[in-house]
Amino acid sequence: MKFNVEVGPQFEGERVRKDDLYIEFGGPKVGAKVELATIKKMDEVEHGKITIIGPDIGDLAEGGSYPLGVQVEVAGPELDKDMEPVFERRIHQYCNYIEGFMHSAQRNDVWIRISKDAVKKGLTSLEEVGKVLVYLYPSELPIIEKVAVTFITDSKKVEEFLPSALTVYKERDERVKGLTEEVVDEFYGCTLCQSFAPTHVCIITPERVSLCGAVNWFDGRAASKIDPYGPQFVVEKGELLDANTTIYSKVNEVVAEKSMGASSVFCLHSVFGNPHTSCGCFESIAFYIPEVDGVGILTRDFSGESVNGSPFSTMAGELSGGKQVEGYIGMGVEYLRSPKFLKGDGGLRRVVWMPKVVKERMKDSISPEMFDKIATEEHAKNIDELTEFLNKVKHPVMSGEFS
Amino acid sequence: MSKNKEETLKIIKGEDAWEPVGPTPLPDITDLRNWSMRLLKTYKPFYAPFCDLCCNCTYGKCDLTAGKKGACGIDIATHQARWVLMQCCMGLSAHGAHGRHLIDYLINKHGKDYKIDLGLQVDVEAPIIRTVMGLKPEILGDLRTVIEYVERGLIHLVSSTHTGQEGHYLDFENKSLHAGMLDLLAMEAADIAQIAGYNYPTSIADTPLVELGWGAIDKTKPVILAIGHNAAPINATIDYLQNNNLEDKVEVCGICCTAHDVTRRSDRAKVVGHLARQLFFIRCGIADVIITDEQCVRTDVPEEATRAGASLIATSDKICYGLEDVTEKEIDEIVKMITEEKKQVLILDPDKAGEVAARVAIAIAPGRKKEFINEKTAMKLAKECNGCNLCSEACPNLLSVGKSVKEFADGEVDKLSETFKLCFTCGKCEQKCPKNIPIIKIMQAVATKETYKMRSGRGPIHDVEIRQVGSPIVLGTIPGIVAFVGCSNYPKGDKEIAEMMDEFARRKYIVVASGCAAMAAGMVKDKEGKTIWEKYPPGFEAGGVLNVGSCVANSHIAGAAIKVANIFAKLPGRANYECIADYILNRVGACGVAWGAYSQKALAIGTGFNRWGVPVVLGPHSAKYKRLYLSRKEEDDWNIMDGRTEKMMDEYVEPAPEHLAIVIESKERAIVSIAKYCIRRNDTPVGRQIKLNHYIALYKKYMGEGFPDDLHLFIRKPTDVPMFFKREVMDYLKKIGWKPRQQVGLPTLINTYPTKANIADIK
Amino acid sequence: MKPYWDVNVLTGTKTAKIVEDPVQWASIIKKSIRPLYILGPDTVDRNIGDKLFLEYCLDVAKAGNLPICATAHVRKKMSEMGVETDSAYDIIEIINHLKDPEWQGVRKEGNHDLIMFTGVRCDLAERGLATLKHFAPHLKTMALCRFSHPNADFALPVIRKDTKWQEYFDGLVANLIN
Repeated sequence: MKFNVEVGPQFEGERVRKDDLYIEFGGPKVGAKVELATIKKMDEVEHGKITIIGPDIGDLAEGGSYPLGVQVEVAGPELDKDMEPVFERRIHQYCNYIEGFMHSAQRNDVWIRISKDAVKKGLTSLEEVGKVLVYLYPSELPIIEKVAVTFITDSKKVEEFLPSALTVYKERDERVKGLTEEVVDEFYGCTLCQSFAPTHVCIITPERVSLCGAVNWFDGRAASKIDPYGPQFVVEKGELLDANTTIYSKVNEVVAEKSMGASSVFCLHSVFGNPHTSCGCFESIAFYIPEVDGVGILTRDFSGESVNGSPFSTMAGELSGGKQVEGYIGMGVEYLRSPKFLKGDGGLRRVVWMPKVVKERMKDSISPEMFDKIATEEHAKNIDELTEFLNKVKHPVMSGEFS
Repeated sequence: MSKNKEETLKIIKGEDAWEPVGPTPLPDITDLRNWSMRLLKTYKPFYAPFCDLCCNCTYGKCDLTAGKKGACGIDIATHQARWVLMQCCMGLSAHGAHGRHLIDYLINKHGKDYKIDLGLQVDVEAPIIRTVMGLKPEILGDLRTVIEYVERGLIHLVSSTHTGQEGHYLDFENKSLHAGMLDLLAMEAADIAQIAGYNYPTSIADTPLVELGWGAIDKTKPVILAIGHNAAPINATIDYLQNNNLEDKVEVCGICCTAHDVTRRSDRAKVVGHLARQLFFIRCGIADVIITDEQCVRTDVPEEATRAGASLIATSDKICYGLEDVTEKEIDEIVKMITEEKKQVLILDPDKAGEVAARVAIAIAPGRKKEFINEKTAMKLAKECNGCNLCSEACPNLLSVGKSVKEFADGEVDKLSETFKLCFTCGKCEQKCPKNIPIIKIMQAVATKETYKMRSGRGPIHDVEIRQVGSPIVLGTIPGIVAFVGCSNYPKGDKEIAEMMDEFARRKYIVVASGCAAMAAGMVKDKEGKTIWEKYPPGFEAGGVLNVGSCVANSHIAGAAIKVANIFAKLPGRANYECIADYILNRVGACGVAWGAYSQKALAIGTGFNRWGVPVVLGPHSAKYKRLYLSRKEEDDWNIMDGRTEKMMDEYVEPAPEHLAIVIESKERAIVSIAKYCIRRNDTPVGRQIKLNHYIALYKKYMGEGFPDDLHLFIRKPTDVPMFFKREVMDYLKKIGWKPRQQVGLPTLINTYPTKANIADIK
Repeated sequence: MKPYWDVNVLTGTKTAKIVEDPVQWASIIKKSIRPLYILGPDTVDRNIGDKLFLEYCLDVAKAGNLPICATAHVRKKMSEMGVETDSAYDIIEIINHLKDPEWQGVRKEGNHDLIMFTGVRCDLAERGLATLKHFAPHLKTMALCRFSHPNADFALPVIRKDTKWQEYFDGLVANLIN
């Protein structure tokens, strides 16, 4: 495919700064903005059709901010409704492969900026963006057979489209909330990290994101359908052997097989006994602090020493490499939001310390009662200070009433 | 070398249990021979004789042309291999002696128990020393142990080059690889010593941007120029100036690596340029005092300094220039000898030399006139040219010197200006000129006087950075680490280095530079007036552009690859050379680029990287090194074991990396090849997609439409095909009859040859 | 005879036969069974007179029906001109293959018995010719280069004038066709 501007992974993360800006769509200055991907029946989508409703890039005055609706419709016999959010996130990913085209946020917060250089090079129509999307969807995801893209830049038309999109978002969010380990039939496994941690297996459930934070249950589901022999695969649940620490019989079997026998019992939600293995690229660590019988959380971008005196690199060194290390697990930061977070150990009520930025980020998922009881680096820099703090706030671990 | 186990454990402090001692502590020449031989089985030595004769002993000269043997029985291939070993040993001894000098000097200053502390971000302080020797250096005294081990190895290596010793080219190559390994070891010791002893920056990425270019040197101040690699004397000058509040009154600058190291000491020091600007800059007459230390310093500096009216202080036992040794004299007396008696001197005490330089510069500068020659005068000189072109014939970079001088004489500036950009200012043209035209001097009139920026050297890559990029590097989503290293013998000027670095940085490779390459890269500005050092972030991250520092800091590049294995993937590193090298070869997509390598040191460094499993791309001049390591992708042995099952793969496995040392003729071709040499057999489908995306995109940009003729060799399954070229590539694959095949689980060579390494370590 | 570039002065005993006459040059090519013409980047980076260097070389290849190995980035210009190359190994890689008598050549018909170089950077070409001189006794090398190459089996004298260089090409093409 030939485009007027370059397209490739090197442009991911490229910024379009104010001085380079030609025009923007959506963003904080614009009310009407929305983006939606939906799955249609095979006969409802005309492959490659790109529709532009309203003025195009070349018609709009330089320096302005404009409304935008992006609607991607895909079809394929293997597709299922749960994949829609995965496909919708691809709009963001693919758009950012385009030189001088910056896509950020999602849904009805979407924000697109186009650089002067890109326009100079010929990116004067959304048609070109549509062509990139139409090319990349089936290329990356062969289960998608048809793609049609509609861009709406007419403010009124965007407003008209918005309510239906909001309804879809709402339905999806409800579905996510309703998805628990008990409800779904299968989990997904990922062995991508075996390149450097040959005995590590990630088990991904609706209530457990991958350790790297990059693969959730929906991603796992889509990936396992796209390439059944790829690094992400279906894991049956089998029998629930321990409801507390959450041990499933078939999960154990898969872990034993894929780790070549290195691990055979694998708790989904506990740092004790047989915690899950850790790769090397986990976003954060949950670590047991024996002095207070609580659990601390440390993230990769925290540059100082944690409350137990170890910086991230030292602690990561101890638990990485695909081994089960009791008292430690690597985890995706979003796992903190899971209702099953360390269920076997008392969940968030067992957590005694985490970096301040993480605590702020998780504010809406931590009960107000617990929020003030969890120490950060501002409250405690070592175990003595931590103990003092926990006593002061009457943290549940101090009385052992965390479960 | 001692094979006594107890003694070995004593040397490496075996009782110190930071990791169990691996299979090969303090390896001697034959301990890692099987690893070398395994590499050489796939990457066969390729020889390009520079000379058909052997003149090594009194039996000779012996003509070794096409199958003839010498009086001692040696053939041309073995003779080439012996030459390569000799050159590697020269390189190794240069770095080793440099390290020995620095370490002894710093131990004298701080004591042998002085702690090595590389800051909060660096725990694995010496990945090479740990992996090769099994020693964890904690104090300066430990670094002396390293150098002692290197010295012991060197004596055996050099010995084998004597007539009537080693008789097979492959064994010479094993020894060259061993020399290269020791070279990186010595460099690591040297750089750690100076970081610790001089408080050079460490554990920070955004080191200061320092000024670069002869145009940046303030002629109105006294100017001290240091040339070489060992910054001990010039650092002493900095100390003297700082202690006497003179730092803003005197200009301190450097050429070649000593410039890197003095800017690590003080960011007010400046970099004139790389080693190829020596003669040019000396002849500009801007330097009032020249301090020479060691390595890559022109041998005619005394004569040139006299001609330019500059004072000269030689400071190294390696370069004494026949000068009087005044080390024992009083400083006042030495200053007087230089300023009044106009003597050039040898001062072997760096502190004394540093102070003398400062005092002499301050004393003599006011009496000296320092101006670049103007265009009018230069043209007048050029008018003597009779157009004989003997100067061109002498040019080692094949430049049309004569034509440009002639055109300049006729008032045309551009051609000479272009010629200067490609010129090494070696001065061979002048020697041939029957009219004695001072060509290098004339070039002052056309040389840019612009000021550039270079990020000063940062030392080791941080452990946390390794942890952050470890996964994307091993999975392949950061497409590679490309290291631009070595000297400035460029076929087409500095510009190409900056262009290549920019191409990879914008594609989100991690781009590392060191030595003269880091300077060359800074001598080019983009349309916004920014150098590559200002354009990209300085961290070890996707799209980062880093300067590790001087020649000896190249060790940190190998160190980073080792750390990916040792820190990120948790491979046991202590005295476990083969496992770590195997990991790097098969799983870390790193490629070195020594586009202007000229020295024996560069050969040793490159060979050292090869033994670690890192491929090196060389510019066209490096064919004169006489030896490369090449494979033939369709024919050679690509068999590999899947470490998971410990079974050999029964299918063809991609030839990655394809070569270990190769000369490439043009920048365009090199860019495409470098992208390919970052492919590793361990890449995940997503990683392979990204790597192939760049390989294909660059191929189309520089080699024309269509696909590389070896593309299919690197595609295992359709999921490896980059999504941006999916349909076209799938059509192409169908056309040529490509068949999908297995991805290797854990590619490894361990246990595919006789080895003491333990395959369990790679799991 | 000294080659143009000092760096290419031979230190050895076996030196090229200088072929001043394009008729003789053409007849050597014609006698070969599987020749190969290696084109280096100077052919696309330089002109001879007003015409691109590469065009002269392609005329020679066409006249002699010579398979081409386009090294460095020569392929790009060729494909822009609509000419397909038989092979695009880089210079060191093609030499490495040529060393092996069992190699099947760029047309998979057997290794080449005659190799001709044009436009390869002169110092690098000379090193490559040295490799072939020592390690590829099964083939002959010709340096069709105005700067002269002592390590080849057959070389041109130094040709200083563009017009003479053009004449040599013209003569060669005419005699290859005949």
